[in-house]
Amino acid sequence: MNLRRLSTLMRREILATFRDPFTVSILIAVPLVALLLFGQVLSTEVTGLNLGVLDASGTSASRRLVAELAVTGTFKPLPYATRDALEHSLVSGAISAALIIPPDFDRDLDVATGDVDRAEVQVIYDGGEAVLAGNAEGFLRSLIAASGANLVSQALPAAPAVPQPNRRGTASGGGSGIEMVVRSVFNPRLDGRPFMVAGTFGFVLSFLTVLITAVSIVSEKLTGTFEQLQVTPATPVEILLAKILPLGAVFALDVLLMVLVAGFVMHVWAEGSTLFFLLVSSFYVLVSLALGLIISATSQTAAEAVQKSVLFSIPLVQLSGFAFPIRSMPWPVQWVAEFFPATHYIRVCRAIYLRGEGPIALLPELILLAIFGVILMAFALRTIEARQ
Amino acid sequence: MMNPIIHARGLTRRFGDFTAVDHLDIDVLPGSIFAFLGANGSGKSTTIRMLIGILRPTEGTIEVDGIDVIRRPRLVRDHIGYMGQRVSLYRGLSLRENVEFYAGLYNLSGAELERRWGALRERFSLGETEDEKAEDLPVGIRQRAGLALSTLHQPRVLFLDEPTTGVDVHNRGLFWELIQDEAKAGVTVFVTTHFLEEVEYCDWVCFIDAGRLIANDEPEALRRRYSAGYRIDIELPPEACDPAKALIRAAGHPVERTSIGLQLRVPELGAGTLATFERIAASHAGTIRIEQAPMTDVFRQVLAESGRPT
Repeated sequence: MNLRRLSTLMRREILATFRDPFTVSILIAVPLVALLLFGQVLSTEVTGLNLGVLDASGTSASRRLVAELAVTGTFKPLPYATRDALEHSLVSGAISAALIIPPDFDRDLDVATGDVDRAEVQVIYDGGEAVLAGNAEGFLRSLIAASGANLVSQALPAAPAVPQPNRRGTASGGGSGIEMVVRSVFNPRLDGRPFMVAGTFGFVLSFLTVLITAVSIVSEKLTGTFEQLQVTPATPVEILLAKILPLGAVFALDVLLMVLVAGFVMHVWAEGSTLFFLLVSSFYVLVSLALGLIISATSQTAAEAVQKSVLFSIPLVQLSGFAFPIRSMPWPVQWVAEFFPATHYIRVCRAIYLRGEGPIALLPELILLAIFGVILMAFALRTIEARQ
Repeated sequence: MMNPIIHARGLTRRFGDFTAVDHLDIDVLPGSIFAFLGANGSGKSTTIRMLIGILRPTEGTIEVDGIDVIRRPRLVRDHIGYMGQRVSLYRGLSLRENVEFYAGLYNLSGAELERRWGALRERFSLGETEDEKAEDLPVGIRQRAGLALSTLHQPRVLFLDEPTTGVDVHNRGLFWELIQDEAKAGVTVFVTTHFLEEVEYCDWVCFIDAGRLIANDEPEALRRRYSAGYRIDIELPPEACDPAKALIRAAGHPVERTSIGLQLRVPELGAGTLATFERIAASHAGTIRIEQAPMTDVFRQVLAESGRPT
């Protein structure tokens, strides 16, 4: 090996790397963004989750229980007057979990002993948000156990203060004094598979469509065929549709294949209409393909297009709710997440797969997806438009 | 005088602070071959992209075949053919499949397509390569195929952007014969090139440098203006040199003795001048060699007079 030659080669590589602003920005931005995302935004720590509280007891003990839940910062209690309103907010995502304190909570707490839990509270979560529900349940269990033990210890000073959660869904054992009855509005067993299967549709369709189309226009630019196409009578709309419709059909078949494999192999079928799911997915594929075309049309080289696609996929995985619950992210990040079409599509997937929701219930999300579709298609058309 | 089929006035394109094309006035007559010459980066491709309507000028007006290209860029596309620097055949498709693809964009199919493509295939000698994949075609054939495809819809104006780049001398000659055939058939050809010798095939020449037109005329007129014209070498026996010299001087041309005979320069070859030389050669069994000033020298002189370093 010739060291001089090696150093010459290395010098050229270094110059090539650092003279490309895009590469430099990737080298700096990606590690920082990943660090911030994983370290801060995507921490599994549960903080500031909205907890709907229906306090039918209205006593000092129930108020103290709620106050103690609030003081840890894990939950932000929001009072509700009726059970219907509580469940509606839970399904709509306004709250992450619900706590119902019955009217006789205070009286039952008084007769609780170190061996028998008498006071009951009910916790309801949306099993459709399996990760979030699991986290919330775990935290509520330990917090209610600790609060219950404190409340009982004031009435019965000999009672042990350390709670021992058990498998019955109660936070009693060891005499915490409060039994936590858990109920899920959907997916009661908190089975992670439907949650992940539904999310995977979003991830695969978003990432793969963008990656496949990202190189399509830029490759044609490099070979000269795109310029030739621009001089023919073909209109931008025709070029756009010719790019996305064939691929859209292929991806629609992909969705069908995934639905069948998920059903027959993993035994995960949509609770709602499969046909509706296929229709929504086919539309989403077109939206995502348009995004890929924008990346492609605004890139100078195929390598740049691929880099942009990969860069795009990082927030897709992290912020779209595919792997991490959006509701447990800081609110500015939650806002950012709302600007990803994938966020809404994954939400729709899970609503159809886990909650069996139909077009009426999902209308707001569908409208948002349609708006994203119109905006992205319009922008894709603009980038394909011949005159610069 | 005929109305120009390409008519541009004050054509300007800026990219930020950089002016790529600076107030060009271009007129191209129907059925002519118009050479647009310049060094790399001089603004040739930017100009052609504006003329075909895929780049919007910052200022100026363009009309091609009577159509306002700036306001109605789509309308002009049925009237023009274009072949870029990279011949735009789709890789993975055979030549025949490429033909069908481009024909489809112009709504050509069936018997009409077969008729047109059959004629082009024969004229461009492409029959044996029709089933070859585009990427497997030799460069010369690919260029011919590109030109054939750009004429498939029978455009009135053909824009060729450095069409012979990367093509060997033999194939360049063949290619230019095909371009001349197109012009003879009435197609106007606007061609950019940096091969200065290709000007010989053209009716009109335009030199561009740093986005500005620095010369715009017929090739012969440019030679007259920017070179010493023609160099004539007359090979004669020594005893014939003096009488011949006297004859030439009498015709008004300064002449010098050389080791083989006489040498002189004339700004242009008029019929009278040629007749004088032929008479001398015939009476003294001499031979005449006429050399044009190479266009490279003309271009250098044009650049020098425009104030640019050569």
